[in-house]
Amino acid sequence: MSTSIDKSTFLRGRLRGDGDIVFAGRIEGDITISGELTIEASGLVGASVNATTVIARGAVRGDITATDSITLENGARVVGNVRAPRITIEEGALVRGHVETGHAGSATKSSARTAVASAASAAPARAAMPVRAAAPAPVVHAAPAAKAAPKPVQVPVPVPVMVPAKKAAAKVVGRAPAPVVPVLKKGAKAKRR
Amino acid sequence: MAGTIIGEGITIEGELSSDEDVVVRGHVRGKLIAKEGVVVEAGATVEADVSGGTMTVAGSITGNVNSTDRVDLQSGAKLVGNVKAARITIADGAQFKGSVDMDV
Repeated sequence: MSTSIDKSTFLRGRLRGDGDIVFAGRIEGDITISGELTIEASGLVGASVNATTVIARGAVRGDITATDSITLENGARVVGNVRAPRITIEEGALVRGHVETGHAGSATKSSARTAVASAASAAPARAAMPVRAAAPAPVVHAAPAAKAAPKPVQVPVPVPVMVPAKKAAAKVVGRAPAPVVPVLKKGAKAKRR
Repeated sequence: MAGTIIGEGITIEGELSSDEDVVVRGHVRGKLIAKEGVVVEAGATVEADVSGGTMTVAGSITGNVNSTDRVDLQSGAKLVGNVKAARITIADGAQFKGSVDMDV
């Protein structure tokens, strides 16, 4: 037989496990089960609820998350976010909070968020690379740039400062349309490398 | 059916209080306070102090038991803790370690 918590029962703590629960009492603590959770009209849940299926006609002050479906029936009072692939809110149910249905929505949203985050973190890195690469190139005549980006300069500069000034210039040739010192062509640069 | 039933596979961590019968088939850790009877069925584990009316134990209890009426330890029951009750029975095959206070 499944679990039932009667009207007179008060629970301060967590309730979790596998199996269906009919909840008519009061709980100050999370409910996390795999199974069907029915919150009766007299039921009062003071924290978040996680279950496979949730049927509520009582009060919940906390988020409700279900992996299958949520049904808020007449008499349900929910203050918190409601999230499940399928959600039914019947007439007479009161909800104050964010409601989100569907796998796709939640999945794309979260993945999009991470994608944006990763893109945002990747983009500056990539953008920074050419800047750093370019910075040492005009090093000879552009001291302020070297100052602006001290870190990257320190590494490449010591070696190329004296000898491969031409090499650096070659880079500038590749990038800038109007080179100041057109010493080498592209091909020459490739050869040298 | 009145009363609270903690089903198999369900774990409660915390303090459970009820004015009606409580039947435990799953696990309770913390404290269990009932005004009426408490039944701990075979396979159930209670790691908690338990108080209530008539107590029928076939499962395992670790904790002190306080009953306003009687405590029945059935065969297969395991109780580690002290018992305070007006009456107590310990069936053959029940394990019990603790002291008994019967208000003599």
